[in-house]
Amino acid sequence: MNRSFIRQVLVASSVVAALTITAACSGGSTSTKPLSSPSGNGDVAKTVSGDVHVLMEGVPDTDIVKGLLPEFNKVYPNVHVSIESLVYDQIRDKIVASFTAPKATYNLAIIDNPWMGDFAKAGFLKPLDAYVKTTPGYEYQDFAQPLRDIGTVNGKIYGVPFYNYGLGLIYRKDQMPQPPRTLADLAAQAAKLNTPSEAGIAMQPQRGYKAFEEWGNYLFAAGGSIYGSDGKVHLNTPEAKTALNTYTKMYNASAPTNSPNWAFDGALRSVSSGKSAMMVSSNWMLPTLNKKGGPAGALTGKFELAPMPGDKQVLGLWDWAVPANSETSDADWAFISWLTSKAGEKQRVIAGGAPTRNSVLTDTEVAQKGFGAGYYSTVGKILANSSPLCRGANCDEMIQAVGTELNAAIAGKKSVDDALTAAETQANKIQSS
Amino acid sequence: MSFRIRLLLPLLALFVVAVGYPLAFSFYISLTNYKITNRFDVKFSGLDRYADALHDSAYWSALTVTFTFVLIAVFLELALGLCIALALQRQKRVRDFTRSFLLSPMFITPIAVGLMFRFLLNQQLGVIPTLLSRFGISYDFFGPGRAFFSIVLIDVWQWTPFMVLLLLAGLESLPRQPFEAARIDGASTFYTFRRVTLPMLSSVLVVAILIRGLDALKVFEYVYAITRGGPGTETQTIQYYVYNTGITFFRLASASAMAYGLLAVVMFLVILLFRRVERARRS
Repeated sequence: MNRSFIRQVLVASSVVAALTITAACSGGSTSTKPLSSPSGNGDVAKTVSGDVHVLMEGVPDTDIVKGLLPEFNKVYPNVHVSIESLVYDQIRDKIVASFTAPKATYNLAIIDNPWMGDFAKAGFLKPLDAYVKTTPGYEYQDFAQPLRDIGTVNGKIYGVPFYNYGLGLIYRKDQMPQPPRTLADLAAQAAKLNTPSEAGIAMQPQRGYKAFEEWGNYLFAAGGSIYGSDGKVHLNTPEAKTALNTYTKMYNASAPTNSPNWAFDGALRSVSSGKSAMMVSSNWMLPTLNKKGGPAGALTGKFELAPMPGDKQVLGLWDWAVPANSETSDADWAFISWLTSKAGEKQRVIAGGAPTRNSVLTDTEVAQKGFGAGYYSTVGKILANSSPLCRGANCDEMIQAVGTELNAAIAGKKSVDDALTAAETQANKIQSS
Repeated sequence: MSFRIRLLLPLLALFVVAVGYPLAFSFYISLTNYKITNRFDVKFSGLDRYADALHDSAYWSALTVTFTFVLIAVFLELALGLCIALALQRQKRVRDFTRSFLLSPMFITPIAVGLMFRFLLNQQLGVIPTLLSRFGISYDFFGPGRAFFSIVLIDVWQWTPFMVLLLLAGLESLPRQPFEAARIDGASTFYTFRRVTLPMLSSVLVVAILIRGLDALKVFEYVYAITRGGPGTETQTIQYYVYNTGITFFRLASASAMAYGLLAVVMFLVILLFRRVERARRS
């Protein structure tokens, strides 16, 4: 080895060491402490000012919120809300980057329910209890109980319900006058409706979230639950086995052929084009399917929504939250409290938004101007008895692990017993780490 | 400081900022328990994350899937690319149109290709299953045992043109004399291809394999858009696994260790390949 080579190696090592030390000193030490103290007073002055940037998913509810901004500015003229829409997969990465930055790019956030535990624990979000308690006429208890539970972490409120995506059974009422009430009935109806030109049910067994989300409803319908009374995940149970066996048999017998990677959009396109008779989907898909000029074309008006067999379903929810590094907390809360107040929620739901407050579900004006009393009554039943896939820490990882095992069983790569045993073990390991 | 070093300084500074710092930072966090959601309790953990990766069966499975993918996809692309390049070399008419048409798939962003094939191969809505059904064929493109090969074929569809581009440039730059000598000596077409064309094209072939191989190692978009790694973990590639671990599950320390493990394997293979090429060149 010559001297020149040794010198080059030493120089290169020194550079790497220096860079590593620099990186070590700078990484992970960025503070997310609030840059200005929020008042915590929910009765925000109408003169409050601020530029509020929020990143939202490109869904109907986002468009509805955009449409309500002029109304909001009549009350708070100095708060300028700008909304950026993206597809779901990009939202989380961008808001996490904003949370961890010294200065927030998005000083108002919407949070999907699997993220809530991690984000609250990480200190990314501000507790909203003081705002909630001091906002005149806010009536926080009016939000459906399961929705409030999602936004509450360790007794503190970190999220206020924006819109729900509790699941339900969407079916063709011209083909099936009465919805199935049991899991066996669902399987029988799907088999009965299955023809060479139309599948009985469009399913969503794609690996990960979708497989777990859809199968979770089957688990509830079989009388099972995701968590036991000890707070641990219990999936290696007789009910879970019944649910997974039924799901797999239904996929093989009544779902569109060759659809093992189908997710939300595949099922929606199949049902809206008359190639499947029913699907499990978000309750707000019903108005979308029945909307004139919507995706269902000539089938518009032929769809109906029902709670899942067994009356319990998987719950999804987007919450409004204030990032810990937001400098405009009072302006943020002005917008959140205005939009999610009883009056704001009523306007949003009449415009087509997915409800979160119990009061709007029984409001005659909402029923008349919205999608009819029957729809809101069904949504009320769905919200009253529903549960999210995951609570606590590492939800995305836990959901992915369980969804991978379920997908393996559905594809015939693992036995039902092996898949559920592995799912339970992995889920508990992930949530306790 | 010599003039040469001073000329290099701007580039070195850019390299340190754009490449050196992220590399050093990711190496540093791979030696800790860093998690995006736990940034204020970072502890040095030595090589624990590397040990975790080595004991993680999913990591090895993802590596196996990825390297199998690279081997099959690059081999098919090379074989097809060479055939097409040889054909294009002899083409007399509408050369410009044919070449630009054949190259078009590689100008589409891979995520768009993934989404396109997701619907093209959809049993109820896709054109390909509809055409196949007219012949009584029902094929589950993304079912168990098949999804992996469907992803490979999508990659072949998109990146064979890249091989064509490189190999055609290589073919057209070869001197004519050896081919004329072979023709005068009465060598058959196949013999000329095997004994003249391939040896003279070997350096281009190595570069093409290397570039495509390294690029194919990064396969992510098709998996993300179509299968999400399923059925089971059949199409879970290392990039998708590292992305999930680091970004979706916030475990940046583990993801960094996994990425460095991959880097070590790739560096080893590249050095091995270059040494063989160098040895072949000298002999």
